[in-house]
Amino acid sequence: MNTRPLLPQGAELVHPPTRKKVYISLLLAFSFTLLPWMEQIRWLVPDFTLMALLYWNIRSPRIASLSAAFSLGLLTDVARGVVFGLNALAYCIATFIVLLLQRRLEGFDVPRQSLQLSPILIGKEMLVLALGLAMGRGDADWRWLAAGIVAALLWPLFAWLVDRLTSQAPATRQTPL
Amino acid sequence: MSRAPHAPLFIREMRLPTRFSLYILVCLFLLGMDARYATLNSVRSGLNAIIHPVQIALAQPWEWLLGMGGFFVAHGELASENNRLKRQQELLAASLGDRIAIEAENTQLRALMALPPRPGFTLLPGEIIEASTDPFTRKVIINRGSEHGIAAGWPVVDANGLVGQITRVYPWSAEVSLLTDRNQGAPVQNMRNGLRIIVSGQGSDNFLEVRFLDMHADLQPGDLLYTSGIDGIYPAGIPVARVVNTDPPHHTPFARALCQPLGGVGRYRHMAILVPTAPPAGVEKHLDAASMKKSK
Repeated sequence: MNTRPLLPQGAELVHPPTRKKVYISLLLAFSFTLLPWMEQIRWLVPDFTLMALLYWNIRSPRIASLSAAFSLGLLTDVARGVVFGLNALAYCIATFIVLLLQRRLEGFDVPRQSLQLSPILIGKEMLVLALGLAMGRGDADWRWLAAGIVAALLWPLFAWLVDRLTSQAPATRQTPL
Repeated sequence: MSRAPHAPLFIREMRLPTRFSLYILVCLFLLGMDARYATLNSVRSGLNAIIHPVQIALAQPWEWLLGMGGFFVAHGELASENNRLKRQQELLAASLGDRIAIEAENTQLRALMALPPRPGFTLLPGEIIEASTDPFTRKVIINRGSEHGIAAGWPVVDANGLVGQITRVYPWSAEVSLLTDRNQGAPVQNMRNGLRIIVSGQGSDNFLEVRFLDMHADLQPGDLLYTSGIDGIYPAGIPVARVVNTDPPHHTPFARALCQPLGGVGRYRHMAILVPTAPPAGVEKHLDAASMKKSK
């Protein structure tokens, strides 16, 4: 039986993620949100940018911190055509909470992490809707909260994928036992 | 220099709560600025110029897939569609001849009455490249921008009627606020009796409303509403909506009417921008001339 743990262990931990890896994966996640998603399922598409931000903030909080959250938030604002600072605010708050809880979140396995992160992922969508309501932009379409739930459900798959793609050092790639 | 950042020995940066509150302050400042003033528009279009090519590149594989799908259409289907389109074309050509005659007559009559000529428009076709991902607005992004000579405020139509208005212009794309957006309105005229009202969006995809309708206004279900052209933005005579029902006033002095848009608002991929041919300055000059004539 292949009992390889989900999180990288042993020799692999010698190679922490580099800045390049983190920034490239953040930009990749952002470009995922730019894909031409069908309009009928647009409200179900999770915020990949936020997921990647939270992932890196848990795994290496020194690289992707508030500055990355802020700049990616501004890019998202432009891409979504909403008021400047809306998503930047949401990302900064989510990042701050995750940085506060970082030591705790690090210790959990991935499914439990997703449970712990679900309030943040759903709360971000709720914050965006609530800010829209507060600024008098009309009735909120509460369906969009579903994106947060989808993000929490996709978290294990997402974390597994990014772990696999980024945790190994390219030079000393080891074959799994 | 090591590539992997380690925890520094001496921490020489602000503590997390301080940094967090700084960022939050900047965000709130930006929110206030962008909601109130238009100063950040150049920043927005600059950032959009970076994002737009990426978006187009990412959408390309889908376009190719769709194109491949379109390639394998049965011959019979194409032939029948061709036939249908030809017939439609003949009908349209006939009605266009009619229209030209009526337009000429109209210009003559307006000249007789010393009224300024109606502003002319040409059509610039555009294609939707993206629907807005903001749950509060009904907006789409089209593939025409300031590089194609587009300006904010111009009306957007499709084959069946009014679709919306251009509200933001980027270098290679523009944002169209659909008629169904909550902040959009269009001055219209009831075809049956010439009643002038304003139709506004509701934020729902399928309905428009007349918000402050006079209690005794003669508006019935089935009435067709066309643009009246008195706002100087939408030219007169574009089909806008059909009245579905009218609500008598409840606790307010005004009645309310629910309408259904005639144009395929948010349904079709292709639309046309109405590009004004006569510059507004010329119209004003003519208006001045006409009023001077009248005063004489």
